[in-house]
Amino acid sequence: MANKITKQSYEEKLLVRGKKAKGFYEHRKVFFVISLAIILIGIVCNFIFGTTLDIQFSGGSMIKYSYTGKLNDKELKTLVQNKTPDDVVTFSDSQDLVNNKNILTVQFSGTDTISTDLQKSITTSIQEKFPDNNFKLEQSSSVDATMGFSFLLKCIAAVALAGVLMVLYVTIRFKKIGGLSAGVFGLVALFHDLAIIYFFYVIFRMPIDSSFMAVALMLLGYSLNDTVVVYDRVREERKNLGYKADIKDIFNVASTKVMRRTIITSITTIAAVTTVYVTAIFFNLDSVKAFALPMIVGLVSGCYSSLCIAGPLWVSWKKRSKEEK
Amino acid sequence: MKRIPKILFFIVAILILAFSFTSIFGVTYYVGDNKETVVKGITDIRWGTDIRGGVEATFEPANDYNATDEQLEAAKSIIEVRMVSSGITDYELYADNNTDRIIVRFPWKEDEKDFDVEKAIEEISSTAELTFRPGNSYAKTSIGSDGEYVYQTPTGDTETVLMDGSAVKKAQAGIDSSAQSSNNKSNYVVSLELNDEGAKTFADITEKYTSQVVSIWMDDVMLSAPTIQEKISGGKAQISGDFTAEEATKLADRINAGALPFKLETVTYGSISASLGENSLVAMGYAGIIAFCLIIVFMIFMYRLPGFIACIALTGQMGITIAAISGYFPVFNSFTMTLPGIAGLILSIGMGVDANVITSERIIEEMRSGRTLDGALDRGTKSSLTAIIDGNMTIVIVALILLLVFGPFNVLSFIFGQSTTGTIYSFGYTLLMGVISNFIMGVGLSRVMLRAVAGYKWARHKWLFGGAKDGK
Repeated sequence: MANKITKQSYEEKLLVRGKKAKGFYEHRKVFFVISLAIILIGIVCNFIFGTTLDIQFSGGSMIKYSYTGKLNDKELKTLVQNKTPDDVVTFSDSQDLVNNKNILTVQFSGTDTISTDLQKSITTSIQEKFPDNNFKLEQSSSVDATMGFSFLLKCIAAVALAGVLMVLYVTIRFKKIGGLSAGVFGLVALFHDLAIIYFFYVIFRMPIDSSFMAVALMLLGYSLNDTVVVYDRVREERKNLGYKADIKDIFNVASTKVMRRTIITSITTIAAVTTVYVTAIFFNLDSVKAFALPMIVGLVSGCYSSLCIAGPLWVSWKKRSKEEK
Repeated sequence: MKRIPKILFFIVAILILAFSFTSIFGVTYYVGDNKETVVKGITDIRWGTDIRGGVEATFEPANDYNATDEQLEAAKSIIEVRMVSSGITDYELYADNNTDRIIVRFPWKEDEKDFDVEKAIEEISSTAELTFRPGNSYAKTSIGSDGEYVYQTPTGDTETVLMDGSAVKKAQAGIDSSAQSSNNKSNYVVSLELNDEGAKTFADITEKYTSQVVSIWMDDVMLSAPTIQEKISGGKAQISGDFTAEEATKLADRINAGALPFKLETVTYGSISASLGENSLVAMGYAGIIAFCLIIVFMIFMYRLPGFIACIALTGQMGITIAAISGYFPVFNSFTMTLPGIAGLILSIGMGVDANVITSERIIEEMRSGRTLDGALDRGTKSSLTAIIDGNMTIVIVALILLLVFGPFNVLSFIFGQSTTGTIYSFGYTLLMGVISNFIMGVGLSRVMLRAVAGYKWARHKWLFGGAKDGK
């Protein structure tokens, strides 16, 4: 029935639901300042706190015990410390609300593994000294430094490989709107999201561990997917508005039209991940908790960056290269 | 718009729900007290050690001994024998020749009570004791986790040890060219080479036990029970039998394991007790159900009829993904599910929601611009397709890279060595399966249902498709 609609003027085409399209491009400086400010705070924190690598990457050892009742902290600490005079041992306490247990995490400072004999002797002596606390070994991990590092390198290589392939895909699929620049700015948005997640870990002083790797890998798909949906709309609106239309108008109309979808999808996904996060807090699942919270941050950043970072940057680039011609 | 039979809506919806029901709950029946599984469901999924609890360890030769590839294989076979004979099925075992490392990951046994990590690690990595014993009497037979019989604990005469692994120089699998068998099949044999001292002992043994059985044992498990044909004095013997190439290699590896010049040292290890693991499983179950209900309520509230159809499609997507993990289709092996795997599942559900949101939003938009219901459905489904396909393809690229890098192909292993983190592989697998089922459900079948349901008179209200209330 498209032929029934009367021909719209260019100005009319710029309206979305009777209203002027939102000025995503015009507000670009605000967006850039917000993102740069977060990244700057992150860099400052990085200098102050430094980055902590989880033992998975840096090497080292950790043992987790569950126990019940009250504990004589001091005695326990000296007991464990005396077992390993070379390492500095740190302790942290948390609670498992569901099973009504306390969890004690013992971390050893060196980047070496502790021997199974040592772990055994620590466990038995704790159990002997505090028989009323029902000490039980829940989790232990012990990683050699060289192995952790090669794993980290492998993860980075995987990210780089996937990034190159995705830019290639966008370049081919979006040839009509200048695919390579679109792909590169999509990648810029992805790095923006990765930086936000990284600094989130730094600012809240969480160790970089496999949960960081998994969130980064998830972002790799999610962030670019979001940007691609915006580009897809730009490709379409360009046809609609005519090839002579101002690229900034095309982008503003496309972004405004796609915004509802972006928000609704993000809300749904974030609601699902938040459910997982709340359940993990309730059940005291560290591995899931460490995963779900950064995932929520990543999802927010992912949909923000495609509309407010990748798009406006790409439009600026386009306008500039046009002027130079 | 091309009309499709309206009844297809109910046929497709019922098929999707029926399929998802069987893939989630499985199909089982009882013969007496025995449960027979026809179709595997969610309870048959193999859970990774991070969920179910278990042990993960990496070993390497002690004192930086530079092991050859064969020696490493032999060391690996020790762990294999121990896993199989103690009835652990879901172990994962890799040997990395570049770094001389052996990586093993296995769940706790079902009847495990004390969860003694140190003991478990010591048990599987201790030096193998290879012995040659007269006769082949054993006290215990059980079925190993590979489905073959395991003969354990020597009794009677067999308790005597004639010779141990230190006498063995090398064992090697090969083809016996001298004795072409009648049916023209290759005869696989294991040739045994002994050191000087071993050769002397072996000559005495073979003289004494000619025409009798001398069995070969690793620890407590019988590996082979050949009959001595004649006295062998040169220190070189051949074990023949009805071996396949694989069986011969396996036996050779196991015999070599008894003569390894190094001990295995534990490089890294980790463990999760089963109670903690079970806890996370229950938690993930709750989280999944609550999150899915939230999505259903939200989608129906936002998009009405298309939202309802989206929920059926999402259920189908879950069904296919679970089927791909549990081994519902016999052609696909079941897959070990880890916590990151669950995260991959969540992300793919997010992608499924996205596909349906994009389509529904487009339909509403087209109706607002004044199109009829049919016109809006037609244009809306068509124009949303490229966005969905391009978006999902980027996810496919990521999932494939993860599968290739961290999976059995290990494409980057020549640079970085084999990695222990199968958990990232699990993330990639569920993500890929999720996206594929999203193409089938969210892109394919949900569109079929949308078009079909528009054939019913009761459904032909724009309001039902997200339009204004007065629209017809």
